[in-house]
Amino acid sequence: MSSLLHRMIVIEDEKQIRTFVREALEQEGCQVFEAATAAQGLVEAGTRKPDLVILDLGLPDRDGVEVIRDLRVWSAVPVLILSARTNETDKIEALDAGADDYLTKPFGIGELLARVRALLRRKSRLAEDGSAVTAFGEVSVDMARRTVTRNGEPVHLTPIEYRLLCALLASEGRVLTHRQLLRDVWGPTHVESNHYLRVFVGHLRQKLEADPAQPRHFLTETGVGYRFQP
Amino acid sequence: MACVATALIAMPLRQYFDVVNIVMLFLLTVFLVSLRLGQGPAVLAAFFSVALFDFFFVPPHLTFAVADAQYLLTFAVMLVVALITGQLTAGLKQQAETASLEEHRTRALYEMAKALSGAMRLTQVVEISCEFLRDAVRAEAVLLIPDDTGELQPHGTCRVWYEPHLAMAAFDDGLHPFPETDGVRYYPLTGSTRIRGVMAVSPLDGATLNENHPLLEAVASLVAIAIERLHYVDVAQQAQVQMASERLRSSVLSALSHDLRTPLTILVGLADSLAMSRPPLAAKQKETAEAVLDQSLRLCGLVENLLDMARLHAGEVKLRREWQPLEEVVGASLKLLERSLVEHPLRVDLPADLPLLEFDAVLIERVLCNLLENAAKYSPLGSAIEIAARQNGAMVEVSVSDHGSGIPPGRQDRIFDMFVRGVPESPTPGVGLGLAICRAIVEAHGGTIVVTNRTPSGACFTFTLPVGNPPVIDEEALPPEGAP
Repeated sequence: MSSLLHRMIVIEDEKQIRTFVREALEQEGCQVFEAATAAQGLVEAGTRKPDLVILDLGLPDRDGVEVIRDLRVWSAVPVLILSARTNETDKIEALDAGADDYLTKPFGIGELLARVRALLRRKSRLAEDGSAVTAFGEVSVDMARRTVTRNGEPVHLTPIEYRLLCALLASEGRVLTHRQLLRDVWGPTHVESNHYLRVFVGHLRQKLEADPAQPRHFLTETGVGYRFQP
Repeated sequence: MACVATALIAMPLRQYFDVVNIVMLFLLTVFLVSLRLGQGPAVLAAFFSVALFDFFFVPPHLTFAVADAQYLLTFAVMLVVALITGQLTAGLKQQAETASLEEHRTRALYEMAKALSGAMRLTQVVEISCEFLRDAVRAEAVLLIPDDTGELQPHGTCRVWYEPHLAMAAFDDGLHPFPETDGVRYYPLTGSTRIRGVMAVSPLDGATLNENHPLLEAVASLVAIAIERLHYVDVAQQAQVQMASERLRSSVLSALSHDLRTPLTILVGLADSLAMSRPPLAAKQKETAEAVLDQSLRLCGLVENLLDMARLHAGEVKLRREWQPLEEVVGASLKLLERSLVEHPLRVDLPADLPLLEFDAVLIERVLCNLLENAAKYSPLGSAIEIAARQNGAMVEVSVSDHGSGIPPGRQDRIFDMFVRGVPESPTPGVGLGLAICRAIVEAHGGTIVVTNRTPSGACFTFTLPVGNPPVIDEEALPPEGAP
């Protein structure tokens, strides 16, 4: 990670978790600021101009979801949340509020760094003028020409499948909740039709994945949503 | 007596007053007698007065003979007037008495209603109503209230010889009034929503119930309202207690899971940092760090299983059922277990025409993960693991098969119980919770889970999920047939 200049804020009330996250990120060359409370974290986020915020959802002083909403009022900084396994609804709420990705406790350092890298990569890609062509696996998508090819062969996608593909590609490295995808692709009146979304993600996998039963690119975040990984 | 007194008083006045006025004195006497003593004495007094008047005041005195025939008219008028006044006053008096009795009863009924509205227990209701009936109606009563099984149980005095089958009949069809049998009358206690019981009433020493029928009906409905109120108080209290205990249970569980997870997260994180630290550790230390990491991860798995089991047992888990393809959750489970399954070739056989199923993805993922993890743990490295599904009538069967040693005979049924393992002292780590969790989850979905041994070796775990009525996906939005 060529990220000598990357600034991170870790908002977590457990000192030792904060410490090992900090050390892992510092070894990667990041500059890390710690905060033990939501209030302190928001102050740090306002003054340090971070490239990434790592936020624990179970803070003592405030609900993590509220912190994200506050942050999103004035900042588009990527937010990675830390949360317990069983709290799917909390994760969904946090993602809907504007968080970008989540890590389930307990997590390994490797996992943490992979998520952080993906979010930073996405941030730097957004900063530069992206090319219209995205390639992953055997697939290449040309957004300008609206064509999709697999091993050089054109793949036919229905309009909805194409829109779903674009929504997923545009959020590379992020987790999109069912609700977000349904709103983007089908419109705000269909946010409860989860089974449609699942069927169409299945179609995309059939057409674009080497093994649809073990997808490599269109990953399921069970109970939460989907993630595209190039 | 009164008439004699009147005659005595009137005697000396005979010189001063007209005979006509003496008649008035006698009439007054009859009136007073009837007011005081009622109808019978009034009639007696009327005749007696006429006789005395004739004897003492009508000439010739001191005989019943009448000199002037005119006096006969006087006697007749006097008698008629005396009889009528007597009758009227006596009637009035009786009415006044009835009214005061009614008033007394109404007051008693009102007092009972007040007392009933303050009653907090069934025994109080019984006591209050029985006491009222004894005082106001002179009747014994017993309240028959259904218990949990629907049997009518007597509350109150046992001096009413009621027939259980008649009481039950009154309870069942709620007729008002229910016919009297053997001196016992059955009043259904009709509440606003349903019949709450039966009041069996029997009169004390020969009194009759007929005239008190409206009163008894009023009592029955008051008692019904009181019982109904107690019932709802009970329901509300139970709901409150239940809510409180559920809240407690859920807060204990979440506190427990937070307190267990936090140190585990730290342990895993620190062990991982240690193993990855730079400059790299010496081989020996690195190995130790990795072993610590492995063991902490295993501990995490164990804690998650225990917490899951606790949550499932506490009824904490609400299924978030959604229609979805099975393929997705299979893919997600395989991805989660990527690392443990790396030594096993996987064969996934899911028919393309499998219907959408309604299940909680997170929980079914847990089932699949537990089954796959077991398959990887208990079968030799390099042996294949197969996942298959097929529709069988109203159910879809999903199976996970391995090439391990299978389940020892006789333990196939018990293997899904808590803390039961295929081989009790197996060197492979585990406590026997994974399959218990699987069973709890599958059963919550309305399915079943079984295990069979394969030939020549291996175990095959099969669970079922009901097909139900899958939603129709808008065909227009589906891609055209045969598209590449």
